[in-house]
Amino acid sequence: MSDNTLLNVEDLVVRFAVKRSRGFGKNAYLHAVDNVNFSVKRGETLAIVGESGSGKTTAALAVARLVKSYQGKVELNGTDLLHLSDEDLRQARAKVQFIFQDPYSSLNPRLRASDIVREPMDSLGNMTETEKSDRIDFLFEAVGLRPEQQRLFPHQFSGGQRQRIGIARALATQPDVIICDEPVSALDVAVQAQILNLLRKLQKDFGLTYLFISHDLGVVQHMCDSIAVMYMGKIVEYGPRLDIFNVPQHPYTQALLSAVPSVDKARRAKSRRILISGDPPDPVNLPDGCRFANRCSTAKDICRRDQPKLDNGVACHFPGAKL
Amino acid sequence: MFRGNTAAMFALIVLGLIMLCAILGPWIYPTDPFDMVWAPFSPPGVDGFLLGTDYLGRDLLAALIHGSRVSIVIGLAAASVSIVIGVTVGALAGFYLGWVEELLMRITEFFQVLPTLLFSMVIVALFGASLPMITLAIGVVSWTAVARVTRSEFLRIRELEYVMASRASGATNSKLMFRVILPNALPPIIVQAALMVGSAILFEAGLSFLGLTDPNVVSWGQVIGSNRQYILDASYTVTIPGLAIFVTVLCISLVGDGLNDALNPKLRSR
Amino acid sequence: MALLSVKNLQIEIKTRAGVAPVIDDLSFDLEAGESLSFVGESGCGKSMTALALMGLLPEGVGSVAAGSITFDGEELTTATETRLREIRGNDISMIFQEPMTSLNPLFTIGEQIAEVLRAHQNLSRKAAWNQAIELLDAVRIPNAKARVNDYPFQMSGGQRQRVMIAIALACQPKILIADEPTTALDVTVQAQIFDLLQDMRRQTDSSIILITHDMGAVAEMAERMIVMYAGRKAELGPVEDVIANPRHPYTAGLISCVPHILSTLTEEREKLVEVPGIVPPLNDFGKDSCLFASRCQQAQAQCLEARPPEIEFGPEHQSACWRAQEL
Repeated sequence: MSDNTLLNVEDLVVRFAVKRSRGFGKNAYLHAVDNVNFSVKRGETLAIVGESGSGKTTAALAVARLVKSYQGKVELNGTDLLHLSDEDLRQARAKVQFIFQDPYSSLNPRLRASDIVREPMDSLGNMTETEKSDRIDFLFEAVGLRPEQQRLFPHQFSGGQRQRIGIARALATQPDVIICDEPVSALDVAVQAQILNLLRKLQKDFGLTYLFISHDLGVVQHMCDSIAVMYMGKIVEYGPRLDIFNVPQHPYTQALLSAVPSVDKARRAKSRRILISGDPPDPVNLPDGCRFANRCSTAKDICRRDQPKLDNGVACHFPGAKL
Repeated sequence: MFRGNTAAMFALIVLGLIMLCAILGPWIYPTDPFDMVWAPFSPPGVDGFLLGTDYLGRDLLAALIHGSRVSIVIGLAAASVSIVIGVTVGALAGFYLGWVEELLMRITEFFQVLPTLLFSMVIVALFGASLPMITLAIGVVSWTAVARVTRSEFLRIRELEYVMASRASGATNSKLMFRVILPNALPPIIVQAALMVGSAILFEAGLSFLGLTDPNVVSWGQVIGSNRQYILDASYTVTIPGLAIFVTVLCISLVGDGLNDALNPKLRSR
Repeated sequence: MALLSVKNLQIEIKTRAGVAPVIDDLSFDLEAGESLSFVGESGCGKSMTALALMGLLPEGVGSVAAGSITFDGEELTTATETRLREIRGNDISMIFQEPMTSLNPLFTIGEQIAEVLRAHQNLSRKAAWNQAIELLDAVRIPNAKARVNDYPFQMSGGQRQRVMIAIALACQPKILIADEPTTALDVTVQAQIFDLLQDMRRQTDSSIILITHDMGAVAEMAERMIVMYAGRKAELGPVEDVIANPRHPYTAGLISCVPHILSTLTEEREKLVEVPGIVPPLNDFGKDSCLFASRCQQAQAQCLEARPPEIEFGPEHQSACWRAQEL
């Protein structure tokens, strides 16, 4: 673990008990996040990408302890968040903040914009009322909202402006890590750019560290320093931005990248679209071997038998194989 | 929005008049409803008694005006009791889930399947027919609907991201429950509460009709109950207080419906 | 003659503030077998155009105020409801954005496909059922014979969208309108659906109208595109042309505001071009000015004074911008 590692996640497992109508006794479990390891350096952005059901959002919620983990370690500045008692956890929440996907359901409709930003400071920390008001003024300016908009209610804002309020709220307690869960996917394309530019500007100005959850690879490549690609609860590939986008090793990453439609003529001419057939396996009844084996055109017997370990940034028996 | 609803607005005005009557009645019409003021069975309008007299020669108008206080007070108080119990149970069940929810919802179902009239009769018979006891009896048998509404709203709202955002910024459970979720869950509870007042008035009338009431206070139901033997000879003694109950409860329902439309965000956006 | 020809179409909807033209003077042609795409932000009238073509404008709210829609020589704006019902699903069909809610949860997918066939083609129960299996197979649902008895909840989002495509294609329509067909789906599933749509088009020679906000999808799927802004046509032209040389600042903004994956990524990350502000409110839609002016870096006094005419660049490419020449 290098010195400026801020967030370090080891062997994180999140599982949910699933009721199955047939059978007695043993509970079936859905392993939404299965032995996941990653770390984020201070001031950098780690993106977790994956499709629906990959466990990326669950992993993020587990880091913030908004869902219960089954095992593992989430160390922030050396403190394991998963083993904090109630009051310590409440205080630690100031250090991990969340920006949500849906700007409509993530703001309490009954509070004024300023009160939404004030809420974390009321719950945590010991600022005086004047300090809080000053900080709200400061944050509103930082996210590009006008001071007179503090008195308005959420429904009086557009989607992009609401997301700005959400960002101001996340910044209120001066957190170490901000988890952005699909922060622009609910916004109109033209508004997405405004929010992405804002997030990058804030990162530069305040030295923020982001854990960025997204399914949009274009957005991810623009925002991140390194990437973890998840499939069915596992990280299948993990590495620096340029490596993953320019020379993807895992067949799933290759397929995922090739599936993104592009306006770049050169890219369309160069890359061949890799279609992956079939459907992902049943998450409650996972196969023994590689979870991607049933859809992978290069899968051999060993892939169906042994689960590949994440080694050198890729969890595949035949990394780099051409599909 | 509410103002656009003519029926609800009209009902609100009528309800206001009834309330005014209940509050000021004893001063504008000081006749004691228990005094035998005239010959029995004097029909309405005859002999100077606007609504006539009952079988003991008591003034029906006085009974109606004085009785409105009891009916309305019991309606409001019983509704409050059921709201307090229902919201507490529903909020706890919808917020904590797990065994808390299981337990509380089983208790709710237990109260739901009880024959409400019989159960409240038992309470009143056991603990005496005083006004507070009647109020309590009505409240105890009618909170289940509120609990169910509250729980379902809590289940819906607790999953919304702003609740998660509050949790992420360190809100305590009690703050989440009462400051974040409850205010957003209120609209349907308010509607339920309005309808509850109406049904509590009906319930009280039912109980007093059966004689389970404080004999020293007059209420609409009690007037019907005590005159019921003479329904064929002097039908007005029963019809008039019956109409009073009917109009009041109908108005409350209309206002409740109006509130429902006004507070329902889906309808509001149209 | 074009298969579908829309001329000066004006669609108005009633709002609290009055009547607003959600589609304002829209004209375009669609040839048989062609793939045309509508692009723009939400609230720009893309979906409203689709509904107008289907004769499905929200009743009592939206109506055709002027202009014509000619399909195969037949005028649709004045056609009777009975005639429109015959056309819908038979000659023009549509797939929607939300595959989760566009299927009836109470019937098996086989029943739902057969239902369409029986309604439009008078097939017998048995023949319709067999054709439903064939269609499921055609949209690449594995083991179609068994899955035809499945209920919608037993299928994934991608499979449901394929069932929707099967229903839409059941009567071999001449035009298939796809309204954001992959927005709710994962990107690898989107690739499968696009691939399927392209194949279907080649096989049946039907035209596709794709409605989307994703320039990448347009580049991959369509031959010509129409950029809509605030109910008006901002730009029309061949996809390659428009993407390489956008002649309307809004088109340029839509292309450059999204971070694209390029053929080779470098350390460099440019600041994204922002299109400030949002689409104007409905009651501004009818104004005689360029509606994009308030968000446009290039706006001049002229842009606020009059609605820009459509300026031609070659036979196929038009842009409604006062400064289109200079761009």
